[in-house]
Amino acid sequence: MENVLTVRGLKKSYGTQMALAGIDFDVRAGEVFALIGPNGAGKTTTLRIIATLLTSSGGDITFLGRDLRKEPDFVREKISYLPEEAGAYKDMKGLDYLEFMANFYARTPEEEKDFVDRAVAITELGDRLKTKVGTYSKGMTRKLLLARALMTKPVLAILDEPTSGLDVLNALEVREIVRRYVKEGTSVLLSSHNMLEIEFLSDRVALINKGLILDAGTPSELKGKHQASNLEEVFRSSLR
Amino acid sequence: MKRFTNLLKKEIKELVTKQLVISLAFTVILFNFIGQVSKKEVQKATGIQTISALDQDGSPASQALIKGLESARFKILDQSGKTKDEAIETAKAGESKLLLVIPEGFGESLTELKPSEIETYSFMRSFSLIGARGQIVVQSVISALNEALSNNFLSEKLPEHDPASLKRPIKSKDFVVVQDMMAEGSANMVAGMISQQSLLIPVVLMMIVIYSSQMVISAVAMEKQNKTLETLLTVPIRRTSIITAKMLAAGLVGLISAGVYMFAFRGFIGGIGEEAAQAGAQAGAPAIMQKLGLTFSASGYAILGLSIFLAILVALALAMILGVLAEDFRSAQTMIMPLMFMVMIPYFISLFADMNTIALPLKIFILAIPFTHPFLVSQNLYLGNYGMIVAGLAYMLVVFVALVIFAARIFSTDKILTMKLRFGKKKTAAA
Repeated sequence: MENVLTVRGLKKSYGTQMALAGIDFDVRAGEVFALIGPNGAGKTTTLRIIATLLTSSGGDITFLGRDLRKEPDFVREKISYLPEEAGAYKDMKGLDYLEFMANFYARTPEEEKDFVDRAVAITELGDRLKTKVGTYSKGMTRKLLLARALMTKPVLAILDEPTSGLDVLNALEVREIVRRYVKEGTSVLLSSHNMLEIEFLSDRVALINKGLILDAGTPSELKGKHQASNLEEVFRSSLR
Repeated sequence: MKRFTNLLKKEIKELVTKQLVISLAFTVILFNFIGQVSKKEVQKATGIQTISALDQDGSPASQALIKGLESARFKILDQSGKTKDEAIETAKAGESKLLLVIPEGFGESLTELKPSEIETYSFMRSFSLIGARGQIVVQSVISALNEALSNNFLSEKLPEHDPASLKRPIKSKDFVVVQDMMAEGSANMVAGMISQQSLLIPVVLMMIVIYSSQMVISAVAMEKQNKTLETLLTVPIRRTSIITAKMLAAGLVGLISAGVYMFAFRGFIGGIGEEAAQAGAQAGAPAIMQKLGLTFSASGYAILGLSIFLAILVALALAMILGVLAEDFRSAQTMIMPLMFMVMIPYFISLFADMNTIALPLKIFILAIPFTHPFLVSQNLYLGNYGMIVAGLAYMLVVFVALVIFAARIFSTDKILTMKLRFGKKKTAAA
C-alpha cells in the first residue's frame, strides 16, 4: 500500500519547551492510523502541524509526494481537520454551515450539493439541520463537525479525539461513521487517549509520549510483542 | 474569488445581527424624537414670548421702551395699575417669563441726563439655556435703547460732533491674511468658521474607526471563542483572503452603521442646531472665506476622503492584530481602548494646540499616530501645505501595508493560535 503521508524526524518546540523530539510515521492509503498517548504527549501538536496550522521546527513531512511545508495550499485542498474542541458558527443553521463549508471545496454547484447531501446523511439530524447550531447538544454538534470533515471525501481526514466528551452511544455512532468512510477510500489520522476506542477503530497505532514515538504497529502486533491483552497494557509496557 | 465571496458573505451575515439592526433603528428613532422635541422647544423660545410689563412711569420714554420690545416679537401683558408685588405675583402665576418694571420718574431722569433704572424679574421655571433666552433679548433691547438715547443726548449737547465718534474714538479695521490672500474680517471669525466646517471630520472618523475596529476585533475573537478558527484556517482559502474578508466586512458594516448614526445625529442636531446656527452665522462670512481661499474644491474633498479612507484601513488592520491578541469576546471589548485613545489624542491636540508651535518630541509623537493626519488635512489644504498632506497620506499607506503584512504573518504562522494577551502579559500557549 502506498503512503499518503510520510513523517520523518518531526520536531516542534515552543520556546525552550520541546513538544516533539523527532518522530517518524507513515499513513497508508485507506487505513486508520492512530496516535495514542497521555495528555501533553504531542498528539495534538503533530496533528496541527500536518493540518498546516503549526509550522514544524525540524524534520520532513511529505503528503502525496509533496512537501507539506512548501505547498500548504495543496495540502488544505486534500485534507480535512477536526480539532478536539471544535465548534461551529452558533448563529448559522446546521444546513447553512454545511453549505458554507462545502463551498470552499466544491468546484461546481453539483459537487457542492453532493457534499452537502453526504453530510446530511452522515449527521442523521434530519429537520434539526434547519435550526441554529447554537441549539444543538454536544453530540449533535460533534456529528455535524464530523460530517463536515468527511463530506468532501478527503484524501486524509485528521481527527483529534473524535469522540471526546461524547456519551457511549454518540461515541459508538461516531466510530461507525469513521469506519464506514475509510471503506470509501479516505485515510484517517486520529489521536486519542482512549485506548479501547483506538483498538476498535485503528489499523495501525503509534504510541507517543513526551514527544517521542515509543512503538508502532497493528494493535495485534503490539499486543503480541508486549505480551499484553490490550493497548493500555502495551502502553504501560512500552513506557518501561 | 468564489471562496472569498463565500467567506465575505458569512462575515457580513455574522455582523449584521438582529441586535445591530434593532440598535440602529432605535438610535435613529430616538435621535429623531429628541431632535423634534428640541426643535419645538427652540421654536417656542425663538418665537413670540410673553413678558409682563409694569409701567409706573407712563412717559413717552417708557412707552418707547415697551414698543421696542413689541417690535422685538414680545407679547406684552400690561400690568398697569398694580403694585410691584401684585405684578410679580400675577406674572409668576401666568405664563410670563419675565416681568419688566419701569419705575416712576424713568422718563424724567432720562431727560435730565441722569441714569435711569428699570427692574427685570426673570421667572426661572426650568434651568435650560433656551429658557433663559427671554432676558438676553430684553437686555439687547435695553442696550439698543441705551445706544439711541445716548446718541440723542450727545447730539443735543454736542451737535457739531458725531455721537458714534465720541463714544468710540478709536476704531479698528480688521484684516485677515492667509498665505497670499487678504480679506477684511476678524481672525476669530475665520477660526470659528474653519472649526465649524471641519467639526464633522473627527466625528465621522471616530464613529467609523470605533465601529469597524470593534467589529474586526470581535470577529476574530468570536472565531477563537467559538473554536471555529482552527477549522477555518485549514480550509483551502488563503490566509490573506481571510484577513481581507474580515476587514472588508467590518469596514462595510462599520461604514453603514456610522452612516446611520450620522444620519440619526443629524436629525438630532437638525432640531436644535439649525436655527441656532443661523442665528450665530455672521453675515458675509462665506464671502470672506471665499476671498481667503478657505473653501474646499472638489479635489480638496477627494484628498480629505482619501485621508479618512486610509485612516480607516489602518484602524482595521490594527484591529485585526488586536483581535488575534484577544482571548475571547469579552477581552476583545477592552482591546478597542488603545485604538480609541489613538483617535482621541490627535483630535483633542488639534483642537487645543497649534501643531506648528508645540515641542518637537510631542510633535513627532503626535505625527507618528496615523490618525493625526486626517485631522490636519483640512488645515494643510487651506494653508497650501501639500508636502505635509502627501507625506501624511504616504505615511498612512506605509503603516497600513506594514500592519497588513504583520497581520498576514501572524495568520500564516503559529502565532495566530499561540499569541494571547492577558492582563498585559504575553503568553505562549503550548498544545
